[in-house]
Amino acid sequence: MNRRVLVLAEPEGDGVTEVSHELLAAAFRLAGDGGPVSAVLPTPDASASMAAAETLGGAEVLLVEGPAHDGRTGEETAAAVRAAVEVTAADLVLLPHTATGWDAAPLLAARLETAVLTGVSSLQWSEDGLTAERQAFQGKFVHEVGTKRLPAVATVERGAFPARPAGSAAQVRTLASPLSLERRRSRLLEIRDAASEGVDLAASDVVVSAGRGMGGPEHLHLVEELASALGGAVGASRAVTDAGWLPHDRQIGSSGVTVAPKLYVACGISGAIQHLVGMRGSRFVVAVNKDPDAPIFGAADVGVVADVKDILPALTRALTGADG
Amino acid sequence: MNAVALVKQVPDRNSVFRPAGPWIDESSLGYGINDYDRYAVEAALELREAGAVKQAVVVTAGPDEASQAIRTCLAMGMDRGIHLVCPRASLADPFRVAKALAGVVRAQDAGIVLAGLLAEDSGHGQVGGLVAGLLDMSWASAVTAVRFRDGKLEVERELESSRVAVVELELPAVVAVQTGANTPRYASLRGIMASRRKPVERIEPPELANPDSCDARIRSLRLAKPERAASAEILEGAPDDVAAALIPRIRSGAGIVLGGGAS
Ligand SMILES: Cc1cc2nc3c(=O)[nH]c(=O)nc-3n(C[C@H](O)[C@H](O)[C@H](O)COP(=O)(O)OP(=O)(O)OC[C@H]3O[C@@H](n4cnc5c(N)ncnc54)[C@H](O)[C@@H]3O)c2cc1C
Repeated sequence: MNRRVLVLAEPEGDGVTEVSHELLAAAFRLAGDGGPVSAVLPTPDASASMAAAETLGGAEVLLVEGPAHDGRTGEETAAAVRAAVEVTAADLVLLPHTATGWDAAPLLAARLETAVLTGVSSLQWSEDGLTAERQAFQGKFVHEVGTKRLPAVATVERGAFPARPAGSAAQVRTLASPLSLERRRSRLLEIRDAASEGVDLAASDVVVSAGRGMGGPEHLHLVEELASALGGAVGASRAVTDAGWLPHDRQIGSSGVTVAPKLYVACGISGAIQHLVGMRGSRFVVAVNKDPDAPIFGAADVGVVADVKDILPALTRALTGADG
Repeated sequence: MNAVALVKQVPDRNSVFRPAGPWIDESSLGYGINDYDRYAVEAALELREAGAVKQAVVVTAGPDEASQAIRTCLAMGMDRGIHLVCPRASLADPFRVAKALAGVVRAQDAGIVLAGLLAEDSGHGQVGGLVAGLLDMSWASAVTAVRFRDGKLEVERELESSRVAVVELELPAVVAVQTGANTPRYASLRGIMASRRKPVERIEPPELANPDSCDARIRSLRLAKPERAASAEILEGAPDDVAAALIPRIRSGAGIVLGGGAS
């Protein structure tokens, strides 16, 4: 059966974001039999977005143009995608599971009277709708969900589909945006870099990271001592920096620093995907966690199922040759 | 104008979770407030303390036991609570939850509605945005700072690559608060005493009465432990033995020179 799939293409530089090409790959797979795949690209100036549109290989591209599309708020994106859903009669809309998707997908879904399948890593048509795999309990479990309501809306995890190579679009059309400046109720004022200077975690050969499982700031010396015995730096999960146990510049992950040391030691870290993307490039990963089902063990070379308060001092002792 | 915080009661994160068909076995779990929602509650309290809103109202949907989550928020300082009483299984579909919440929010003179970015259990991360869409309120997700300015709301949103977007929202607005946005307070003894006298309204929304309603937009089909492509070599035993076994593995795996007693 031919299904119509629509993806969001986000402009970036002269082209579109990498995840836009990943969404296209997912869309072509789901459309089957060469079923139509469309891409919607919101823009304040269609002529300036032509080059970006032309990288969306094989897709029917809709440039939704209007002065209100200068900030990419959820409202702007949802309005553009909504207009494209009407024009294309899409059965499924794919957005990235990024800050853009978090913002736009639920607004779009509310308009379509449905819910969003968020953070999906796979999608499949079923007899009476769509099923998807996602994570629940912060990565501990795979959660299969289904919806019978079309059009469906899904946000797709980055990296879940290999990007479709750039190529020329099947067609490019321009559509006047339904969102006017007067009706717009949210407005981007500025985008800035969150200043994070300090320790150069990314340059360290060894990173020893503390998670919530360390139990409290009073136990962090165990991580510091191990890091110093290994000649490395101290990193942290977001749970630790949010709680103020360590400063924010130590945070590793999607909203922190990305590291790729020779050795990464995760101490009491569960292994949520947002943490894993920040340390996946490490050459050798040791994880210490008392829960044998912790997802961090799926990203580790060696796992120790134990209490950090027992293992860390023992390892530090063994490394420094101090008597136990 | 009031601030309304949307709160979910979720299983204690240190519980042992056992998958059971479409979800986990919930028969013997402890529950607490979703971590993300604590930041939403704190933000609501700070707005009230700054005089930006009159009342801080907490709303939750869930079974009878979920009234404990409301009590905790009242003890933290929220002024009153609204409990949408429903079976826990009805919470599986974010759309119907949002619909029921929207119905209540509409009547609260809400200038700002604060949700947590996501729930630690289901992680759908959309109830706030659905409420905004259903009520035609302005909206921002992954919010790390909120302030009123010239009758509007100015928020900071977390983007990828350590970037921050500053966005202006017209009122009324819904925001989904990210962890770390503030420092959630704990309930004081006085707060706990005072909470006993604060009003909690109970409502039984028809949308949420039947978990298996054919109206559900999202259905939970299966929950399972992930299959791991590459799984770690697992070491267990006495700490000193484990440490001794780790060192040669680190040396060859990471290719680093180890100092002290290890060399
Ligand atoms: C948009 C977004 C961006 C995010 N960005 C980031 C990011 O950049 N970086 C990041 O890290 N997270 C990020 N997160 C949060 C992430 O989803 C997790 O919540 C976070 O990584 C959890 O930190 P944790 O593993 O330390 O804590 P938890 O998930 O609470 O895990 C603690 C672990 O410690 C174990 N443990 C407990 N006690 C002991 C003990 N005594 N000995 C051994 N083990 C023990 C437990 O079994 C558990 O596995 C983000 C989330 C979102 C939604």
